[in-house]
Formats: sequence, C-alpha cells, structure tokens
Amino acid sequence: MMAEQINKVCVIGAGTMGAGIAAQIANAGVPVLLLDIVKDGEANRNAIAEGAVAKMLKADPAPFMTKSAAKLVETGNIDDHLDRIAECDWVVEAIVERLDIKQKLYARIAGVKKAGTAVSSNTSTIPLENLVDGMDEQFRRDFLITHFFNPPRYMRLVEVVRGKATDAATADKVSDFLDRKMGKTVVAAKDTPGFIANRIGTYWLALAVNAAMDQGITVEEADAIGGRPMGVPKTGIFGLLDLIGIDLMPLLSQSLSSTLPQGDPYFDTVRDMPLIEKMIADGFTGRKGKGGFYTLKKATGGGREKYAIDLESGEYRAARPASVPKHAQKDLTALVSLDGKIGRYAWELLGHVLSYSAMLVGEAADNVVAIDDAMKLGYNWKHGPFELIDRLGPGYLAKRLREEGRDVPKILDVAGDRPFYRIEDGKRQYLTAEGEYRDIVRPEGVLLLEDIKLASKPLAKNGSAAIWDIGDGVLALEFTAKMNALDEQVMKMIGKAIGMVRDGRKALVIYNEGSNFSVGANLGLAMFAVNIAAWSEIDKLIRAGQDAYKALKYAPFPVVSAPAGLALGGGCEILMHSDAVQAHAETYTGLVECGVGLVPGWGGNGEYLSRLMNSPKMPRGPMPALSKAFETISTAQVAKSAAQAKEMAFLRPDDVITMNRDRLLADAKAKALSLVDGYTPPEKPVYRLPGDTGRAAVDLAVSDFHKKGVATDYDTVVAKRLAHVLTGGDTDMQDEVSEDQLLKLEREAFMECVRDPRTQARVEHMLETGKPLRN
Amino acid sequence: MTDIVIAGYARSPFHLANKGDLARVRPDDLAAQTIRGLIEKTGVDAGKVEDVILGCAFPEGEQGLNVARMVVLLADLPISVGGMTVNRFCGSSMSAIHIAMGQIAIGAGDAYICAGLESMSRVPMSGFNPSPNPALAKKTAGAYMGMGETAENVATKFGITRDEQEEFAVKSQQKAAAAQESGKFDGEIIAIEGKQGTVSKDGTIRGGTTKEALSGLKPAFDKDGTVTAGTSSPLTDGASATLVCSREFAEANGLDILATIKSVAISGCEPETMGLGPINASKKAMERAGITAADLDVVELNEAFASQAIACIRELGLKEETINIDGGAIALGHPLGATGARITGKAAQLLKREGGRYALATQCIGGGQGIATVLERA
Repeated sequence: MMAEQINKVCVIGAGTMGAGIAAQIANAGVPVLLLDIVKDGEANRNAIAEGAVAKMLKADPAPFMTKSAAKLVETGNIDDHLDRIAECDWVVEAIVERLDIKQKLYARIAGVKKAGTAVSSNTSTIPLENLVDGMDEQFRRDFLITHFFNPPRYMRLVEVVRGKATDAATADKVSDFLDRKMGKTVVAAKDTPGFIANRIGTYWLALAVNAAMDQGITVEEADAIGGRPMGVPKTGIFGLLDLIGIDLMPLLSQSLSSTLPQGDPYFDTVRDMPLIEKMIADGFTGRKGKGGFYTLKKATGGGREKYAIDLESGEYRAARPASVPKHAQKDLTALVSLDGKIGRYAWELLGHVLSYSAMLVGEAADNVVAIDDAMKLGYNWKHGPFELIDRLGPGYLAKRLREEGRDVPKILDVAGDRPFYRIEDGKRQYLTAEGEYRDIVRPEGVLLLEDIKLASKPLAKNGSAAIWDIGDGVLALEFTAKMNALDEQVMKMIGKAIGMVRDGRKALVIYNEGSNFSVGANLGLAMFAVNIAAWSEIDKLIRAGQDAYKALKYAPFPVVSAPAGLALGGGCEILMHSDAVQAHAETYTGLVECGVGLVPGWGGNGEYLSRLMNSPKMPRGPMPALSKAFETISTAQVAKSAAQAKEMAFLRPDDVITMNRDRLLADAKAKALSLVDGYTPPEKPVYRLPGDTGRAAVDLAVSDFHKKGVATDYDTVVAKRLAHVLTGGDTDMQDEVSEDQLLKLEREAFMECVRDPRTQARVEHMLETGKPLRN
Repeated sequence: MTDIVIAGYARSPFHLANKGDLARVRPDDLAAQTIRGLIEKTGVDAGKVEDVILGCAFPEGEQGLNVARMVVLLADLPISVGGMTVNRFCGSSMSAIHIAMGQIAIGAGDAYICAGLESMSRVPMSGFNPSPNPALAKKTAGAYMGMGETAENVATKFGITRDEQEEFAVKSQQKAAAAQESGKFDGEIIAIEGKQGTVSKDGTIRGGTTKEALSGLKPAFDKDGTVTAGTSSPLTDGASATLVCSREFAEANGLDILATIKSVAISGCEPETMGLGPINASKKAMERAGITAADLDVVELNEAFASQAIACIRELGLKEETINIDGGAIALGHPLGATGARITGKAAQLLKREGGRYALATQCIGGGQGIATVLERA
C-alpha cells in the first residue's frame, strides 16, 4: 500500500487546523512532528505547539481518539527543529493565510527536505500556482494542496488540488494516506478560488443572509426553510454561522472577492452588512463570542430561554418557532412552489445555489460526483447539489431559471430532462459534462452495502433486519429498524442468517450503513409490554436475545461485527459475541443499560467480565476485573472511539480498526474470510467469582458514591442488582460459575429491574426526552 | 530496663500518588534507598543490625512477598540482617519501633532498623482484591468504613466546623512551606534515584493555600459534609526509616542519639470514629511515662484529617505551639505504612532541635485504633 510510504509527518502551524490534523495523523498511529514559531519573550521555545497539544487533550469533542495517541505528537519550533523535516515523508503546512509568509517558509522547507518528501498546504483560499511561484522544479513536483475541514478528526472531506507540475505518484501517495490512514474521503478539486465546498458554501450563506434581510424572513424561518427540508443540518444558515463564527464572513468574502474571476455570481452577494459589522464589533461573533444570531438567556423560572436577533432592528427577542408546511418538508418542488414568503425564500436559495453549483462543473471540479461529495462531507448536507436538482427535476430547474430570464448553466442544458444520477444494470451512474452516463467506480478496497442493494435482492428480510450476499461465501446481516434498534425480529433474523451460512457458506458479517450501528434494544416496545404487564413476554425476549447471541458466538463459522457510530447496550453486546470486531475508528460503544435502570441482559455481563479477566493489564485475584466491570457498567460509560473501546476492553486487543468508513465492509469481509480456515468456535468460559464477599466490597464502594452525591437513590438499587450478577450470585470463590448460570442471574436481575416502577419511570423519561432520569 | 533510643531518622521525599515524581518508583526501591541513606547518614555498622522491621498498610503487589526481606536484599545489607513486614494500617511503622523496643528489651539483639513504606500510586488503598467479610460488614458498619466518612463522623460528633478545619489545614501548609524554605527538611530527606531522575524535595506542600481557595472545594466524601480534599491528607508515595537501639550500643558505636523511648501504647476505639484513636492511646502512654499533656514540648500528631486532629488536640488539651512544628500530613502527605516511623523519628529530631524534655508521637488507625509513643530528650 502506498500509504505505508508515509511513516512520519511534519505539520507546521499549531492553530486549530494544524493541531487537529496532527492529532488525526497520531490517531492513525503515525508519529507527527508539530512545529510552530517561537513566541516572543517566551522562555519555552516550543510553547505554542505544546500549548496546542495540551488544549486538545481537554477539548470536547476530543481531537485525539485516546490520550495515548497524543504521545505520538512531538512538539517543536521552526527555528530549532525545521531540519528534522528530513525525517518526514510528508510535510503539511497549516500556517497563516498570507502568501508572502507561506512562500518564505517553503523556501526554508526546500532547503532541508528530502527530494520526494511531499509538501502540502492546507490553504483554503490561495491558488496553488501562486503558492509555488518562484519555487524550483523539485519543490513544484512534490507540492500539492490538501484542504481539510474543521474539525479534522470528524469532518470526512479533504479537497486535494494537484498543480501543473505536481508529480502524480507523490499526490497519489498523499491521497492514499489521507484515505486509508486518516480515514478521509479525497475529492479532487481544481486550482480555483475556494475550491469546491467553501466556494459553494460561502455563496450559499451570503445569499441566504441577504435574501432573509431583503424578504423579511426571520432567522428562525430561514433556518427552518434552509435546514432540514433541503437536507441541511438543522442549524440551517444562521445557526451554522453562529457555530463557525460570524467574524469569518467578512474574511471569506474578502478572500473570495480578491481571487474570483470577474463576473462570478458571488459578486452579486457582496454588499455592506451594517448589522453584521456591528455584531462583530460588539463581540457578538456567535457561540464563541457573547452570542450570535441566536443566544441563550437565563429564564426567570430557572433554565435557559432561546433568543434570536431581529434582522431589522438588530435587537434580541424571544425566539419564535418556525416551520414549513408538512407536505413541503420532504418535497422540494412543493417547497419552492409554495405561495408566500416560504416558497419565495426557498426558491431564492435553491435556484441560485443549485445553478451556481451547476456552473462549477468543469470549472471547480471535473464532475457532479465531486461537487456532491464535497458538500455532503464538507458541510454535512444530506444531499449534494445535483442530488437536490434530481429531486427538483433538472428540467424544472432549467425551465424556471429561463422563465425568470436567468442564465441556464450548460450542464443543465446537456441534461435536459435526464437526471444526474441513475441506476443501470445494478450500478449507480452519473451524468458527465458531455452528457454521457458513466459508472461511479469505487476505489479498490471499498465495498458498500448501498451498491450491493442496487444490484441484488436480500436473501431474507423482515421489519428490523435483512440478510445480503456480499460475495465470496460471506453474508451480511443488516439492521434496518429506526436507529437500528434491536427486537425479536432481529433475533429471528440472526437465527436465519446462522442457518444460511451453515448451509454451504463461509462466514457472517454484521454490518449496516446507518449513522449508528445500533442504539440497543427497542425500549419503546419493552415499555409497551410493561404497560400491559406482559412479564413473560419480556422474559421471552431476553431469553431470545441471549440464545441468539450465544448461537452467534458458538456458530461453526466466523462471525465478524463491523460497527460505526453508536453501538450501545444490545448493540455493544452483539460485538462482544462476535469472533472478531472490525470497528470503524469512530465507533462509540458501551453497556449503558444502568442509565435507564436496567442491567445488560443479552450476555454483556459475562462477556465483558471475561474480556477484563483475560486482560494482561489486570492485577490477579477475584476483584480487579469484577470491580472494573462494575464501575464501567454501573456508570454506563461509553468509549469515545474504537481505540478507547480497546482500552476499556469492550473490544479485544486483536480486534481491528478501520479508519475510512467506506472501507469498513471490505475490511470486515476480509477479516471474516481470514478466520475461515481451521475455524473452531470458542470454548465456553468458566468464571470464578467471589459471591457475597465481592458484593460486600462493591456495596461499600456504592454507599461511598451515594454519600458523595454521585450516585442517586435508585442508582444504588440498580448497582446492587448488577453486583449480584457480576459477583456470581450465591457462589463461593472455590466454585465455578458457568456461562449459563451467569446468563440466568443476568436475566433475573433484568426482570427485577424491569418490574420496578423506578426503572419504568427512567425508560419513559428517556423515550420522551432522550435524556436520563436521575431518580 | 535498658534504655532504648532512637539514633537516626530519615525519609524519602513525599509526593502525591499518581501525579507526583515518585509514582513510577517501586515502593521496595523507595524503601531500600531510604534505608541505605539512613545507614550512611548514621554511620551504623549494618552488620550489627539484627533485623529490618518494615511497616506497610497494603502489603501486596510490589509491596508483597514479605517486602522487608526484599528491601534488605535490594539495599545490599549484610545477608545476616533479617526482614519482617508488619501491618497495623497507618500505625504500621510506629508498631515496628515498638516491636524492636520489645525485642531489644528481651535481649534479642541491640540494633533494629524500623521503617515504613507505601506507594499509594502502585498499590491502591484497600488493595487489589478488597474482600470484606459480609457478615462483619453487616454487624459492624465501621469495620470497613471509608476513612473520609469517619472524618465526617468526628466532625459531627465534636461540632467541628468546616471553617475550623480549613484554618487548621492552612496553618499546616504554612508551617510545612516555611520549614521547606528554611531547609529544615534537608537533613532528613534522602534523595531518591528513579528512572526519571533524582527526586530530592517534597512535592506535596502547597504553601500558597488560602482559606478562600479551600472554601471553594466540594465536600470529598459526603455531599452535605464538611471534609474536603483540602482538609484531608493526600494520597502519597513515600518511605521512612529510624534506627532503634540500646543506649549502650549507640554509645559504643558513636551514634548520635536523638531521644530515648519512654513509653508506648495501643488502644482500640469505635471504628466509625477511628480518628479519635490517639486520645486514649496517648493518655495511656503518658500515664506509663508518668507525665501529663502539660509536660509535652513536642507533639507529632498525624493529620489524617483536620477534623480528627482538632478533636484529639482538644480532648488531650495539647498546646498549639508544640504541635506539628514543621507541618503535618495535610501538607506533607500520608503514605500510610511510612507515617509512623516518620512522626516518631521527627518527634525525636525536633526534641533535639527545639529543646524541651518530652515528646509525643501519635496517630489514628483505620478500623478503630490509636497508637502513641512518648520520647524523652536524651
């Protein structure tokens, strides 16, 4: 793999972006040298870079996936340590956006780097050809732009710009590292101002603010119209500006205005903004400042109340809920056809932004896929501009633009009434600028269930799960319910999948492409059973889950789970019953049942205990593993990355992490196939647990926590039930506890909890508010 | 009875557990270097030492396997020197001194090294495998009670306010900081070599502590309580050592006698208010020495918590100016097994330094006990 040609990276510039990029490189397990300037009058010459790392260790959301990843970042300064670039295979420049300063630094870098060491700039505004102006041939060959989005750990987009002289192999090497090691989606952008995402994004935001002011639309209305109905995060326009900082607007405007070609539609959006100038001058720069278009103020009756700025008067007033008529929430054509100000504003936004995006095909990017990817991954839009055009109808858009006497971008004419995307022979295709359809070709090592679904039918499915053939004798079990919640249907489908693999196939992968692997058992369903006092039904469901998970564990073939996003409760338990886990780096897993007054009920207690007992890091004796399991489960701790899940022993040391979300399924399939030869199911574990002695120790700790005010009254009750399971019930250190005995204890404790009105109150509260009840 | 004396005292620097400079030093190494330092400092012929008696509150893990003998071997003491680990929780190394005294009195040797160690970084308080007897836990709530809770109980029972505790803690910090600044610890601290370099100063003392700062802390053990991290002794790594021998031995070997041990005592008390242990133990020891609190010129009273220290001072009628002259455990730290030898050695050293005739070293012990030693100027 080319990515392995990069074994050490130097990042210059320890601001938010540089430091965040360095952290993500460290997250990939690659050592980084993070350099910044020497601060005047500071005795510690590495103070800036060191400060950046220290700040990141405290930041939330965390730039580092584990605290230990931070140890891979070595800090220094460009006066004393620049020559150490010779140790590095890639240099990322993320310093101030000033051409002269960047060029001076490049000259110094050129003097110390090895030939062939890639140098890339994280500039968001300066064209590549200007950056390398005056640099020698070798430097130009090694140079490219890698434009990250903030925060670099969480935003998947990196725009890569290659210059005329850039060596293809060097750029491929960096792109491959960005993809496999840093988990990024590389979008090829042309050397034009703002590249793709920020060019469209800045235009969109400026246009939306102007239109709101011109059309008498409130900030709440703007966000209600320009947010969810268009597949944009609910922060919409003004909420997003608050998030990124309102002071960024004039800076972006300035930089784009100075570099965009004359006649670009962006110039139509540039105007004096007295309100915004005043807000910035007074420190109202958004969430980081005193407030933004929205602000929270202390309410008289306690709590906080939301306020919004009146765009006319510039004064705060209580926020007013705004919404879009239901039928127009999911239908774009209906939305832009609405009479009155909602329809007018929606059309103003979509008409302009979509036609601007269409105009950029060939100019900022080669094709529509790059533009859609950039907006989806760089601005978290659910649909890219061309996917939005398809929903609106390319013909409709062109017609309406023409009716209003506006320019119709060439590609819309090329498309005519044809969509930008279509499915042909089970393959997704896009429309090229020349008007031909071409397959969307996935990079090698990328396998998506989304593609498999276009080309085949499920082998089996019900309301909550489906089984797919992903080739080479491997089946995939997909969860399909809302939030991928788990219920009896899923358990049935697990049984079905086991039978199908046993019938002449090789392995099973548990995987889906939802934002979350699974949020755990379907609590709503459980509450329904509680309300009709169907206790035996609940007991049956718990047994069915235990049986299904154990069947997975002892199946005569390898089972690999491949989570991404949340894998909570029953979602975590299924990971622990797999032979191996191939986890996306951004996997957040934990046994969170105690939060809703329950205990893990599908084998999680025993599985977690045995992982801890087998950990070489645990001191010997009956208590350490048990205490750790108790602490983690009773406080419902969730790992904040796959790497942390390993540290917390939810995952085993030999479970594997995939950095790039798109590579997860292929990696999991390969992992499963690697286990096929000579596969034997695991042996049943036997536990030696301390019984009431262990319980006495745990109870003492719980009562201390209760005194301290950390544990609530009912926490201590649930904790005692959990302790009963984890200590093996009425056992003695001399006895062995079997897996089945532990499962029985777990079931009994679960039933005791579920019958308790205090648990029911917790579950109801969670279902209603999404927040835990601390009773 | 032959006079038994303390003829040497040394300790390692004390550092906060887990975050301090000794967190990565093994406790056996810490004790071995401290004992080696004591031998060099006193000039005693190690071949004449009968035994090393080592106090430790959680003798397991790196502190397990009769760590006293391992420390003898680590410290390159002659092979003839024995090693015994004793455990009386916080009273462990004061008990080591008492045991040596008894051994010398029955003619079982002339010289003992009585030491203590605790790495609260490397062996957690209550050990790796806390396994309380469930029946006892039910019968006697205090038996396994957390120390913080006992401190709250004492504060409640004696009506000791948070303000008083904070006042006490600030004074302890100020005394310790002043002693550190004027080099008063230099004579007793043995520099420790670790993987990360030499550690030669205490890392626990917070001379800048103010009452305002303390008043902002949250209660550490009971959300409605008065005891905070600032009015409790911190979890600490450290070791201490004393040389205990007969007066004849000390004189014949040219050793510098710090004090004579006059009397000792142990007394049990209610586990729920274990912090009151020093009261009866000290009364017993003073009675055995034939003195009263008015006769004491130096008192080393372990500050497990400000609340229990205040209660003991009040009940015993101790004179403020005699108490913990160089600061106490709230400032210096309390490496459980090492504290007994520290405060006894310190009391002997202070008696010599400050003048006066009698000194008392006393401390409370988890589970409900007190231990005390009365010293007389040599």
